[in-house]
Amino acid sequence: MTETAKAEKSKSGRKLLAAGRRELREIIETCDAIEERKFNPFFLDVNLGVETLREYFPHWQGFQDHCLDAHAINRLSEVVRLQNTQLKFQSTALYAEPEFISKKIERMSEKRLAEVFLQSWHPVTELEQLTQETVSASLDYWNFLLPIQERWKRREYERGKAPSSADNSVLDGLGIHGKEFAEQMNGLCNEMKQAYEMEQKPIEYWSFVRRANHQDTVQRAYFVSFLVTYGYAKLHTEGELMTLVPNDQPTNKTPQGGISFPIPIPIPKENGTQ
Amino acid sequence: MTQVESEETKSFYADKLKRATHLLLFRRGKMPGAKEWELKEKVGKNYKQVLDQLNQMLGELDLEIKKVTDAPTGDVVEEGRAREEEETRYYVTLKGTLGLKEAKMIGWRIDNLAALGGAVAYLISKQGKAPREDVEKVLAYKFGRWKAATLVDIFMRTGYLEEDDAGVMSIGWRTNSEVDLRALMTKMAETKL
Repeated sequence: MTETAKAEKSKSGRKLLAAGRRELREIIETCDAIEERKFNPFFLDVNLGVETLREYFPHWQGFQDHCLDAHAINRLSEVVRLQNTQLKFQSTALYAEPEFISKKIERMSEKRLAEVFLQSWHPVTELEQLTQETVSASLDYWNFLLPIQERWKRREYERGKAPSSADNSVLDGLGIHGKEFAEQMNGLCNEMKQAYEMEQKPIEYWSFVRRANHQDTVQRAYFVSFLVTYGYAKLHTEGELMTLVPNDQPTNKTPQGGISFPIPIPIPKENGTQ
Repeated sequence: MTQVESEETKSFYADKLKRATHLLLFRRGKMPGAKEWELKEKVGKNYKQVLDQLNQMLGELDLEIKKVTDAPTGDVVEEGRAREEEETRYYVTLKGTLGLKEAKMIGWRIDNLAALGGAVAYLISKQGKAPREDVEKVLAYKFGRWKAATLVDIFMRTGYLEEDDAGVMSIGWRTNSEVDLRALMTKMAETKL
């Protein structure tokens, strides 16, 4: 046999194996769906399934293929069991076509449906009482419960300062309004451009924003958010890494299709950790 | 002599009847009723005789003792098969049935009862098992999608329905104990639209 013929034979053998595996997986999936009651058990022609297994059985070589074959046989036997159950069920007084019952439920009034159910319903009679467990749980709850005055106090502490309006003078004082604000933003934009020209690669967000003072960090993050929103810079994210690239031709408009991307700033603890 | 013996037997039974009543009526764990082994242990080997006696007495109050074998697979068709190895519980249930007004008085809404009846009937028609989406779809036609999902959750919480990891619903222990499935299906089939 020539090399070409050998290669051809091996190729057709691989194709046959692949087709066989695919068919077996399809059989297993159908059997699983039948077991989950998605289809009627008679939806699958078990004889055809067995014939398929018989057809591919001589070609299996590896352990995995034999396992797949055994699994398919197992699933088919489960379908046969379900078919048997279905036949037994059909011979009982409980049998009714699911479509027939669905239609009845759709068409019957709620009251009539409730009446039908009540005619076959015999609720369990029982008496509930305190048990050792419930008494002990109640005692624990009572012991841990603070007096109502203390609970109300705690709520008052949690209540924050009510929101109030801020006028221009307040915003000027905070450095987020007026001429000073525009100057600071331009300054930061220039700083970003310089950093980009020097490094010739996107600037890491946190190294650009973070400063020793937490207030400065927040202020820089705040200005950077404006630069990104108005198209002076682009923010790229890749996993946890965020980078900034200054824009040469800012549009001074919010970019189309942009999304809101909140960046939480960790508050440092007194000992310097975050 | 015979009279003394009969009185002794009477008091012996009276004591056992009390114990069986306590076991069956007072809830001790998550589920009501008593397991077969509990009755055997606390009432004695002749617990079946005692239960027969108690059943006669309860019958006068429109109550009856029901024996239910847990069906782990939820397959309705296998109901009649003997399952010695499985758990058997005894409950006290209502012998007769309730009217709509009485059902309302014990805290049931008409639409909840209708939905439970519909869900159980549909599950039985599917041999006791059906995907959750199918059950919700049947109920949603009448009650709306959100309410159908909520009702299914309620029925699961109260033990009327069960759901496995694959999202397949089956009939719960409470339906097996309380609902006469044969009567329900017959009534459903008989009802004229």
